[in-house]
Amino acid sequence: MPHKPPTKEELERRKIVGINEETITDVSSTDFPGHYPGEDHSWDIESFRRGFRIEFHQNDPFEASFSLIGVDASIANAFRRIMIADIPTLAIETVFINNNTSVIQDEVLSHRLGLIPFKGGHEGLHKFLKWWRKPTDEALVNNSYYDYNTVSLRLEVQCEHNDKAAAGETDPTKLYKHAHVYARDIEFCPVGRQDKYFSGADIIAPVNPDILIAKLRPGQEISLSMHMHKGVGSDHAKFSPVATASYRLMPVIKIERPILGRDAEKFARCFPRGVIGLEKVTKKEAAQKGSGYEGHDGELKAVVVDPMRDTVSRECLRHDEFKGKVKLGRRRDHFIYLVESTGQWESDAIFLEAVAHLKKRAADLEKQVINMVR
Amino acid sequence: MPRATARKEEPAEAGSDIVMDEAPTSHQPEGRDDMSVDQDDENDEAGDVEEDDAEEEEEEDVQRVRLLPGSTPTAASFEFLNEGHTLGNALRYIIMKNRDVEFCAYAIPHPSEAKMNVRIQTFEGTTAIQALEKGLQDLQELCDVVTDKFIDAREKFAASASS
Amino acid sequence: MSREEYQVPTGSGSATGGGGGGGSFNAPAARDYAGESGGTMYYMCGDCAVRVPLEKGAAIRCQKCGARVLYKERTKRMVQFEAR
Repeated sequence: MPHKPPTKEELERRKIVGINEETITDVSSTDFPGHYPGEDHSWDIESFRRGFRIEFHQNDPFEASFSLIGVDASIANAFRRIMIADIPTLAIETVFINNNTSVIQDEVLSHRLGLIPFKGGHEGLHKFLKWWRKPTDEALVNNSYYDYNTVSLRLEVQCEHNDKAAAGETDPTKLYKHAHVYARDIEFCPVGRQDKYFSGADIIAPVNPDILIAKLRPGQEISLSMHMHKGVGSDHAKFSPVATASYRLMPVIKIERPILGRDAEKFARCFPRGVIGLEKVTKKEAAQKGSGYEGHDGELKAVVVDPMRDTVSRECLRHDEFKGKVKLGRRRDHFIYLVESTGQWESDAIFLEAVAHLKKRAADLEKQVINMVR
Repeated sequence: MPRATARKEEPAEAGSDIVMDEAPTSHQPEGRDDMSVDQDDENDEAGDVEEDDAEEEEEEDVQRVRLLPGSTPTAASFEFLNEGHTLGNALRYIIMKNRDVEFCAYAIPHPSEAKMNVRIQTFEGTTAIQALEKGLQDLQELCDVVTDKFIDAREKFAASASS
Repeated sequence: MSREEYQVPTGSGSATGGGGGGGSFNAPAARDYAGESGGTMYYMCGDCAVRVPLEKGAAIRCQKCGARVLYKERTKRMVQFEAR
């Protein structure tokens, strides 16, 4: 029996993960050779290029949202995981505390300092700065700090009484000088060529100057210096370039039989605002036999306006009046990414870096495999 | 939790703190006036490159892929060091897309060992190693396409947002 | 060298130079405690928070308010932590 190529509808149907009230269906991809008799599905870069699409929804330095359409979950997930765990950033790694008489303990203070995100000149951060590796020989540790692998910072704050404070003042920030220690109090100490890469607007500074580090009272002091190194998120979360990098699958809402009048209004309320719209049934639709609109001319009907905004709460499946009228699902190959940068990279650059990283990993392993055979 | 260590000094007199000023001075290189780097920037740069190369080569030298015992040409298991689900699952997908591959799966035998195993069984006419190499090449091609399309989409979005 | 023997790097130090560029990393200069070394130890009064100098063998008592609870001062050594 000659095999018929799948219809467009069939191909669409294969991409949908079904969502029922309590269960889900068709979770796994089926686009592999040998899955459907007579169909190929083997990897072809040209057909991938034809079927693959990216759409941007938002592109700000601290938040980017875009859709990858026509790619498998394993690839999409690799990009997401790389963004979180494998893209290097610069963060405080070592704290040398000379004095800390504040109420916050040295360990806790160090930990807090480590988590502060920093920004700086991109060329310096991404090209000039290299990894710092702790020498195995402890004696060499102090010889391992260079301008291209270590950034030095200082934090010197002393709290004092403010003589100019009004009598009866109770606000500690007015009563005392430096009652609050903020991230902006951290001072960058350039060394060697760092002056060239990190000066002016490119200076190494906290992304958010208003992060509260500690609170002091008169007589208390924090005096410390810090070393920053490059690291990756798989080592410690402070090195992750993103606050979140996540994706979700595009929701699909299919209204299979008309939902009209009061039901339509109730249906719209089952979804987040903007997902379902209400339109009037046209004369033409009402005249069409078997459409379900007969005799409902001018009544309101529910239409799907923007499924992307849906949270797939499945609320509409709980009501008997919608039974059999609506089908929920998600598109298996449509990934809506949300990347929130912590500020050291631009959000969109993080994704590009992740793609480049995956490519490099594959290239390195290819060399390794060739080497293995030899 | 962070670890703290106060430095132990050479036997000091009881009750007297060693003052930092008395401590031996730095172990940092002296003489190279690196604060004014500009004039011998190139030399330094060269020094860096050399050092980095050495480091990278060191890494390259470590063979991270191994053919596990019991493998035949068309049915082989590979062990990857320092790889995880990120590459494992992507590689599994792209190898499964090869029509000459009968079976492909990956596993991380133990979460506390940084090892990832890939099993490939192929039909006659190709070998598991060839399938693995093709998979890695396909993955690189895929990344190029994603990069191109991403840059295009970003430009289009910037144009539509500004207009 | 173990970490316990760590010395704050200062710019004036000397050692055989390794390859590469780079500069020296100055931890802030040690705070000036000159004149405080010697036989006198300082404590904090538990009541009035005044700094109490005590000679060897002296009575443990705040000279200002007479309180007998005295606290040790924080170490003057640099302490190194990992920011983790």
